[in-house]
Amino acid sequence: MAVGTARRIDTGEIMRRYGILIAFLVLCVVLAVVNQNFLTTRNILNVLRQTSINGILAIGMTFVILARGIDLSVGSIVALAGVVSASLATMATTAMVPGGPYPAALAILAGLAVGAACGAVNGVIVARFHVPSFVVTLGMLSAARGLTLLYAGGRPVPNLTDSYRFMGNGSLWGIPMPVVIFAAVFLVAWWVLSQSRFGRQVYAVGGNPHAARVSGISVASIRIWIFVISGTLAGLGGMILAARTGSALTQAGIAYELDAIAAVVIGGTSLAGGVGRVTGTLIGALLIGVMNNGLDLMGVQSYYQQVIKGVLIVAAVMLDQSRNRRD
Amino acid sequence: MRRLLTLASTLALAAGAAAAQDEPLRIGAAVYGLNAEFMQIWSAALEEHPAVQEGIVDVTIFDGRYDALVQQEQFETMITQGFDAIIFVPIDIEAGAAAVQAAHDAGIPVVGSNTRVNSDLLHSYVGSDDVMSGRMVAEYVLEQIGCEGNVVILEGPIGQSAQIQRLEGNMQALAECPDVTVLEQQTANWSRAEAQTLMENWLTTHGDAIDGVIGQNDEMALGAIEAIKGAGLNVEDFAIAGIDGITDALNAVKAGEMQSILQDARAQAQGALDVAIKAVKPDYEPMSDIWEQYPEMPWNDGADAEYNVPWTPVTEENVDELLAQRQ
Repeated sequence: MAVGTARRIDTGEIMRRYGILIAFLVLCVVLAVVNQNFLTTRNILNVLRQTSINGILAIGMTFVILARGIDLSVGSIVALAGVVSASLATMATTAMVPGGPYPAALAILAGLAVGAACGAVNGVIVARFHVPSFVVTLGMLSAARGLTLLYAGGRPVPNLTDSYRFMGNGSLWGIPMPVVIFAAVFLVAWWVLSQSRFGRQVYAVGGNPHAARVSGISVASIRIWIFVISGTLAGLGGMILAARTGSALTQAGIAYELDAIAAVVIGGTSLAGGVGRVTGTLIGALLIGVMNNGLDLMGVQSYYQQVIKGVLIVAAVMLDQSRNRRD
Repeated sequence: MRRLLTLASTLALAAGAAAAQDEPLRIGAAVYGLNAEFMQIWSAALEEHPAVQEGIVDVTIFDGRYDALVQQEQFETMITQGFDAIIFVPIDIEAGAAAVQAAHDAGIPVVGSNTRVNSDLLHSYVGSDDVMSGRMVAEYVLEQIGCEGNVVILEGPIGQSAQIQRLEGNMQALAECPDVTVLEQQTANWSRAEAQTLMENWLTTHGDAIDGVIGQNDEMALGAIEAIKGAGLNVEDFAIAGIDGITDALNAVKAGEMQSILQDARAQAQGALDVAIKAVKPDYEPMSDIWEQYPEMPWNDGADAEYNVPWTPVTEENVDELLAQRQ
């Protein structure tokens, strides 16, 4: 992991290191001043809930990008895991799986398995056949979407059981379940990346695959695992989405990979691999969520939100570049 | 090689001549995309048309994959392959005109269905009037709130013909209720998840002040319902309506949560096919039962430039029957 060597306090250096955090805090303060509803408990929970799906995908994406890969297939995995898992939890009479609805736990396991399987396919092809992850996951983006439509016959999977929907619209001690899950995923990811041997190996593979291999790390198995993590988390996100909207839609998750990549990049993780933190991704995802929420609260056209998000992504990478040059 | 080709074409000609009497007509249906439920129902209805079932016509459905260029290329394919007629459901009102022109130049009649195309070369158009549905959906909401109070409007993607026309209808109805204030009006791109987020944020801003939700489609109205439930408010305190009559919306009508207007995909598809066959076979009599179902839409020998399939309000009385048709 590249570490800066600046010794004296330097505002430029602070901006480069904490620019996104500062931007996030400034945005929150401005919104709190401009809009009296922004800092209400309900709105804060709303923002967190609205951020949680993208946040979960972005955490998975952080693993992939840290190891110098990219995963374009998460949006399609969201839809595939969503319909497969929902088909086990639907009360609709048109259900394609006989004998349902099954217990929510089973449906959730199925969704996670679908996500993990898609990720494993991505990972194995990247690691064993040395195809660039951009290409492999681009293929999976298309294939998983097609499988979703085939599986569901192009129709939504409606009428999900209440126990299944709990992870989307339930709450634990007043905190919405998507936020609870997001927080749990974040804590585990933070621990894995900063404290565990596996985490250090992910950084090593992303920083310098050749050196990692020489030092005895199984680069191929790390590469497979990061895609399994990303795919599994995409499956989790897809199920939360289905549980939240009450129906698994075949069009779900279109372009979600872009928001996930945006959160990672805004959070300061380098697309060159090896540099970045999952806390950055958390702030990146929250920044996007707060911005969308704040502009909605102020009644700003959604088109501006897209423009501002675009500017942010590029600005974040510019920061990243100048940081790399100094290091 | 050349002789072989000549032989093959002679044989083909002979076979063609022998079968000319009862060879089925070839009609292509170019639809903008098959990912959503509505076009699924539309396509299934086309295949179930009696003329298809009895082998009078052969129908091929082309999935335009939401891309005007793909649709254009599919037209070229149909022209090359000598289809007898084309049913066209364009993705874009303007971009489809060139495709219609090409088919017209090749002497192939094109019948529009469901979505309009800006061309005077269409043989006929069988669809539903979106201004009318926009008016009806707003009237439902306004009637329920007694023509006074505050409403929000969830719009389709800005610039799509359905959004433009449904908004026009919304505004016509709103003009008759000067005491009603439109608090917010924003696109949620026909998406349930986007509408849910938008409504959550609006509820934060306006709280109980919102009395009614005008959804330009059912998906978005359903998203608003989820947001209201998620905020711990009572759905019955809101007047909510949407358009299309998708399955989830029918269930919500049954639960007394919203109102919906059914866009009859079956009548649009089967009506268009009858008109298309008539354009090729002058002695043809319509075989679909939709002409009996809608006496207000007379057949008129298939010669009308426009057939307006009436909207069917979904009510507690007819909802069970409509749901049964979906099985």
